[in-house]
Amino acid sequence: MSGIYTIAGSALVAQRRRLGLIAANMANADSTAAPGQQPYRAKLAVFQAEPLDGDGLAPAGDEGVRVSAVAQSSAPFKEVYAPGNPLADARGYVQESNVSMVQQMTDMIDATNGYRANLALLQQTQQINQALIQAI
Amino acid sequence: MLHLSSLDFYGAALQTGARVARLVAANVANSDTPNYKARGIDFDQALAARINGDAPASAQYVRGLPTGLDGNDVSLSYESLQSVENSQRIRASLAFVSHDVASLITALQPQGPSNAG
Repeated sequence: MSGIYTIAGSALVAQRRRLGLIAANMANADSTAAPGQQPYRAKLAVFQAEPLDGDGLAPAGDEGVRVSAVAQSSAPFKEVYAPGNPLADARGYVQESNVSMVQQMTDMIDATNGYRANLALLQQTQQINQALIQAI
Repeated sequence: MLHLSSLDFYGAALQTGARVARLVAANVANSDTPNYKARGIDFDQALAARINGDAPASAQYVRGLPTGLDGNDVSLSYESLQSVENSQRIRASLAFVSHDVASLITALQPQGPSNAG
């Protein structure tokens, strides 16, 4: 049963990293940039299955998960008409980040669900292990 | 026919249960990994292979699950069902094996409790 802690633990770390990126995206959703500069781009965690090293109890090949890369969204930047803004370009538009709040919210729900599922599995494993110890 | 003590049998059942639990954990951990496909083993076949001393059955892709747009077909409800079923199996094995051990210890005692009086 010891391999489960490694596998579910790797998923908890990965989902937490994803939640961290979502938080950064939401915090920067309204950040702007001066003309000629790049505003904030939404960041996305890329998950990849990672085979674990085998030990005496868990054979090799069982797969955990890890964040293999952090990709940047290539969605177009938002343009807001604000001629009074000192960062506005000649046409009066300010460039804002390409973070979509709706997409971040759904992504957050998905990440939370994944986190919860792994946590529930850990709790169940712990209960089984306690039953195992009590049987001795 | 293979002669098998009940302790051996429940040991094999518990080890097979642990194998299933690890596969469920791997599937749940990768429920958001693009192109990951859920895997599982047939409990009966894996248990038979372990009892007979054959090579352990390798995990196979679970068929019939809907695949998402990212190529991932892990279903959390299916995995939770598998996990509950498997943990019940482990608990049952534990209950039976501890009962068997208790009977064995009773049989090994030099004096039965009825002789005490």
